[in-house]
Amino acid sequence: MENSTISIQDFHKYINAFLTISNDLLDEWKLNTIDQNIENNKFLTKKQVVLLRNPADPDLQIIATFEYHLVYNISYAVPVLCFNIWRQDGSRITLEEYWNYNKNLHDYNMHDTLTQMDHPVLNKPIFTLHPCKTYEILKEFLKTSKNPVISWLSVVSQFVHLDLLEEYLKSC
Amino acid sequence: MSIPLSYVPLNSSVNPSFWSKLSELKIDVYKSNEIDVVIWGYSRLIENANLPTSLLEVDSTSFNKEFSDQETYIPFYGKFINTNTIEKFKSCDKQLLINNEGMKFVERFKNGDVLKNPSLLNWFILLTFADIKKYHYYYWFAFPVPQSVTIEKVSSCNISEEFSDEMMIDFYNEFKKLNSIQTSYFVTLKINNLVYLSSLYETFSDESVLKDREPYFTFLNLSPSSNVGSQLRTFVAFILHHRPILEGTKAKFLALNLSRDKTNISLKKSTIYTLKLPEVSSIDMSTTWVGWEKNERDNMGPRLANMKNTLDPAVMAEISNDLNLKLMKWNLLPNIDLQKIKATKCLLLGAGTLGCSVARTLLGWGIRNITFVDNAVVSSSNPVRQSLFTFQDALKSKPKAQAAADSLKLICPGVNSNGYQFTIPMPGHPVGESLLMQTMEEIDKLTELIQNNDIIFLLLDSREGRWLPTLIAASKQKMVINAALGFDSYLVMRHGVYEPKIQEPKAMTCPAGFKSVDGRKLGCYFCTDIVAPGNSMKDRPLDQQCTVTRPGVSQIAGALAAELSLSLLMHEEQIAAPAFYVSKQNVNDLEIDKLNPSILGLVPHSIRGFISSYEQFSPATEKFTNCVACSDFVVRQYRDFGKKFLFEVFNNSKHLEEVAKVPKFDDLSESDIYETGVDEEFSDWAIQ
Ligand SMILES: [Zn+2]
Repeated sequence: MENSTISIQDFHKYINAFLTISNDLLDEWKLNTIDQNIENNKFLTKKQVVLLRNPADPDLQIIATFEYHLVYNISYAVPVLCFNIWRQDGSRITLEEYWNYNKNLHDYNMHDTLTQMDHPVLNKPIFTLHPCKTYEILKEFLKTSKNPVISWLSVVSQFVHLDLLEEYLKSC
Repeated sequence: MSIPLSYVPLNSSVNPSFWSKLSELKIDVYKSNEIDVVIWGYSRLIENANLPTSLLEVDSTSFNKEFSDQETYIPFYGKFINTNTIEKFKSCDKQLLINNEGMKFVERFKNGDVLKNPSLLNWFILLTFADIKKYHYYYWFAFPVPQSVTIEKVSSCNISEEFSDEMMIDFYNEFKKLNSIQTSYFVTLKINNLVYLSSLYETFSDESVLKDREPYFTFLNLSPSSNVGSQLRTFVAFILHHRPILEGTKAKFLALNLSRDKTNISLKKSTIYTLKLPEVSSIDMSTTWVGWEKNERDNMGPRLANMKNTLDPAVMAEISNDLNLKLMKWNLLPNIDLQKIKATKCLLLGAGTLGCSVARTLLGWGIRNITFVDNAVVSSSNPVRQSLFTFQDALKSKPKAQAAADSLKLICPGVNSNGYQFTIPMPGHPVGESLLMQTMEEIDKLTELIQNNDIIFLLLDSREGRWLPTLIAASKQKMVINAALGFDSYLVMRHGVYEPKIQEPKAMTCPAGFKSVDGRKLGCYFCTDIVAPGNSMKDRPLDQQCTVTRPGVSQIAGALAAELSLSLLMHEEQIAAPAFYVSKQNVNDLEIDKLNPSILGLVPHSIRGFISSYEQFSPATEKFTNCVACSDFVVRQYRDFGKKFLFEVFNNSKHLEEVAKVPKFDDLSESDIYETGVDEEFSDWAIQ
């Protein structure tokens, strides 16, 4: 069977490399470490402000703050991309509202792809790109990339408004 | 020619963590005191090309003593006031507040604080009122500027006109070396084609620095590069305070905009302005300050952050629960009416194993109105079988109905659950003089509860107990779901709807091998019983009064009862939905679509299961004309005589058989019973 998973040790190695590049680029990714004595205790976060436009009605636009989390999911043994979104007053944007603003996923089965799951480290509900699709993407990169986490992220980030600078890919 | 310079104000953005931290501080530290402290805000060093304005953000770290430095953040010094009441928030004189804070700000010019720490020129006021219980936060930001400082633009050009590419690279390298408190305001000098960045302290404490030189008063422009951020006005006020000689003269300003140019950070979007400075004699004259932020409706007024959906854990849990159901709707059942489910009120008569199991399944379905009726208290043998109770409930002998309702709230705070402890009057259980009033009240209460609910679940542990609610619910044409247990068998059924005159239903086409019964013709729990329910305690040996059931049986039957109610609720014809049953053995392809299903599939009349063989059947039974609970004779008698009739039945159950005109056994022909499943005696006396 072809291997399409990543060990937690490798995940930590890959996100450390990712973080080094981010620091050089002033790209604002931050390492979060949970004190608890568990193996899955590290994840990266980044806040990014986006002007969301409703594709159906261009006049409808909101300034939204995304807080992205790059986390390891132990049961799937793959990285997952999760995020929260809020308006300028701090109130949360719901998944349904975000779907209305997201034309990138319109062609996909959004309800399967982007859903709400529990954060693998913080155990709180958070919007998540479902890990079941991650295998397919990861499988190829595991053979070819020096940093499969970055390669995978460069594919999925565009679906959820995350800007990933090209510089990251040079390390793959 | 010069024209007035126009400015773009900052735009506030609050992270949810700011509000939760404020609530925490209010509860733990400040309690009923007004909060009046310094907080930190931040803006971003690198321009976000997608946004029309720059943002000033606050989050939980805003309350830290020191600014939590991050390389790409520009610190903002904030005056934070949280009033204790909404009235104080509203009545607070905003002009007075901004003027007073403006004067204090001027003090920081004079005493040298700003000279040492130029980041203090970036400042804001935040006035809030936190209604913590409601998770409502009223707030109003101000980015104050002195009103008297007006600036005219003489000319402007891109930075590249006066700085070569090489110099710009030098510039950025020098800039990166600056401490974060120096990055927002400094003076740029060109000395022999080299870029020199001079701090405000250095510039203004030594006359010689600017002598014979053309300085660029440099500020990090907190606006997209096409505009000028309003904080330039405070910078100009500061410069004029230290160099009054510049009043009314022209000076060069560099509006620094850092942007991402592929992977590099560049100054290319920066602009050089030649400005004519105002002729204010002194910043001391600037007694009027402006800068309160407009709200989302573009009015001068506060904003309200309703954070209930974001911060209230109970609401957040409910949103997650709803999302599960919505995913089911979006992925599998586009026509399911989740609003209807949420609004449906369920009455659970009996809070034993079945009651607990039904309630939990209903919760999962999004039902949020559940009422229990039970006369017992939780006993020590209950918790292992009855999933809503704990050992503690048994120790306290809590009434089951209330304990079950409380337990539902612990599981799901959003549920509206209630419990009533009383005994449902039963046929053949005579009511003594002393209990007359109480029984009357119990009948009234039961009638009221049935009237006020949409689905009535009969989950009682005796056959007689089901009689009165069956009759009342029939009379009120309510949806009734009935479940009963044997040792290793179960019966789950819906009652047919009562109609005084049944119109002949339109003929239904039935696939081969099936028959169907219109919902208005379906029987009730008592229709297959031709004997009136009597006092079964009297007639049965003890061991039959208290049979045990296999523990899984109640879970299965409870789950089926809840599922059946949902299928029925979602059927177009509601309780009139027809029931199909297999009329011939060996029907191969079960084509559900042809059997008038609800969106959740078939809606059988009854489900009978046998755990010993793990078999299950779904027979349908027609209404029995002389049924002691749902027949027209009995319902009419109840409607005409009410409690008088009921008491006659309580005192003598045989009276029922007379009212129902139950024929003698010999008169019954076999064909009256349509039941096709396997017949089984269902014990009503199982421990539940
Ligand atoms: Zn009946």
